[in-house]
Amino acid sequence: MAFPHLRTLMALFTLPTIFFAGFVPRGRPGGIRGKPGFKCKPGLRGKPGSRVKLTGMKGGNKVVVEAHRHEGVFIAKGKEDALCTRNLVPGEAVYNEKRISVQNEDGTKVEYRVWNPFRSKLAAAILGGVDNIWMKPGSKVLYLGAASGTTVSHVSDLVGPTGVVYAVEFSPRSGRDLVNMAAKRTNVIPIIEDARLPARYRMLVGMVDVIFSDVAQPDQARILALNASYFLKSGGHFVISIKANCIDSTATAEAVFASEVKKLQAEQFKPMEQVTLEPFERDHACVVGAYRVPKKPKLAAS
Amino acid sequence: MSSLRNAVHRRAHKERSQPKERKRFGLLEKHKDYVVRAKAFHKKEDYLQKLKEKAAFRNPDEFYFKMINSKTVNGVHKQAGEPNKYTQEELLLMKSQDIGYILQKILSEKKKIERLTATLHSLDSQRSNKHVYYAEDRQDAKRILSETKSDGGLPAFEDLPEKIKRRTAASYRELEARKNRAHDLEKVYNEMAMKQELQKKGKKRKLREDEIVCPTSKPVYKWRTERKQ
Ligand SMILES: C[S@@+](CC[C@H](N)C(=O)[O-])C[C@H]1O[C@@H](n2cnc3c(N)ncnc32)[C@H](O)[C@@H]1O
Repeated sequence: MAFPHLRTLMALFTLPTIFFAGFVPRGRPGGIRGKPGFKCKPGLRGKPGSRVKLTGMKGGNKVVVEAHRHEGVFIAKGKEDALCTRNLVPGEAVYNEKRISVQNEDGTKVEYRVWNPFRSKLAAAILGGVDNIWMKPGSKVLYLGAASGTTVSHVSDLVGPTGVVYAVEFSPRSGRDLVNMAAKRTNVIPIIEDARLPARYRMLVGMVDVIFSDVAQPDQARILALNASYFLKSGGHFVISIKANCIDSTATAEAVFASEVKKLQAEQFKPMEQVTLEPFERDHACVVGAYRVPKKPKLAAS
Repeated sequence: MSSLRNAVHRRAHKERSQPKERKRFGLLEKHKDYVVRAKAFHKKEDYLQKLKEKAAFRNPDEFYFKMINSKTVNGVHKQAGEPNKYTQEELLLMKSQDIGYILQKILSEKKKIERLTATLHSLDSQRSNKHVYYAEDRQDAKRILSETKSDGGLPAFEDLPEKIKRRTAASYRELEARKNRAHDLEKVYNEMAMKQELQKKGKKRKLREDEIVCPTSKPVYKWRTERKQ
């Protein structure tokens, strides 16, 4: 396990320089696109209020790709009708997903990877219409329960080269795939540890903007709280995926979600919204919210 | 020598095609097409001629086994086949091979469906899931309500080229067709598996109408539990 540690230390040194002030959580996600100060390729930058069209319509392109409401996420239309992310490592697929290459007007090529909602709960939540995932280019994300890195790879695409994803996975078997994937993606830092013991990897992880948790354990709320107390900045956000029968297979899914939300509220989390993941998963939900929000929240007003 | 001959430029003769005003007659027949057609015609003619002669010279008192073994059913000539060409085991084997083939087709169809659904996310259709917001107080709830009302779901693609729209629609059509096919194949598979089970050993009986728990149009069987050792 010496390998991920080394990489992480290197990343730690670069961390303070990446912090930037523009990360005030916004009440509405709609207006984020094309905000002044958001670094973006000139060609990709949209005027506020207008729609960004990324492909030449007249060219022989067989696919059209457009930016999604969530920054860093895209939609491809053509033979596909799919959610996708811009591939950070063009030419490489992670889990055999389809890649889509698009030629821009200036002749440069951009590659996207289709984000399979049947294999990634975050994609299912986005398709389910979640208002905000609180991840965007430049975000620092702690990902608990990374498995072989299917979703992690898309989050890595999403946050881009200026962001970081700390991916915690417990099982060494899935961890091997995760480490292999991270070898090609410099913004992913794999950590093969138990998420119940954040003290073990506290040296590797800096403060993060968002924690995404998909550990599928009965005590997942506690695991999330523990990690948040170590790494999540005040006013940061969390996204947690809840699989109802992993927590209590006798109660109804709705009851399980409600009880999990209660548990989160007891741990200084402020749940904001919840989407179920039909038709991609059954009896699954994603809860999104904020952490340690000041008493009278100025969030909505800003 | 032939290579030398090939070096000399020769004129390429183009084939004449059917004139436009005679299009309705189909392709223009060339001599070599005619030869094929004529040969086939004469062959049939000769065959018919031979049969006619045979019928004319037939002895009406002669006995043929075909008189007993075959007959015409509704105008169609049928030969009575051998009653038990295959043994029971052979039949079972053939059936299981058929089932195996159907199963293989089901699996391959499912693979294709999976591959298609991985890239077809029904972005424009109505969502079937539930979206819940958590509000702290009445005021917060009001704010959320006013904000979510203006949310028009996913960004719609304006001025999407017709070509792209058609491509997407074709993909969805293919997915639908494959789903139907997989469903039909599964039905066939279940029926075949049932028949095979019925042919195997084991005590069973057909349930009466009033014994069936969930009503179906198909017959329902019940096997006697047997101790396996
Ligand atoms: C449902 S899978 C996550 C799938 C992944 N999020 C994706 O979309 O590709 C849950 C993973 O969490 C891991 N896990 C469970 N308990 C854990 C713990 N205490 N610490 C770290 N990982 C854990 C499991 O090994 C498993 O791989």
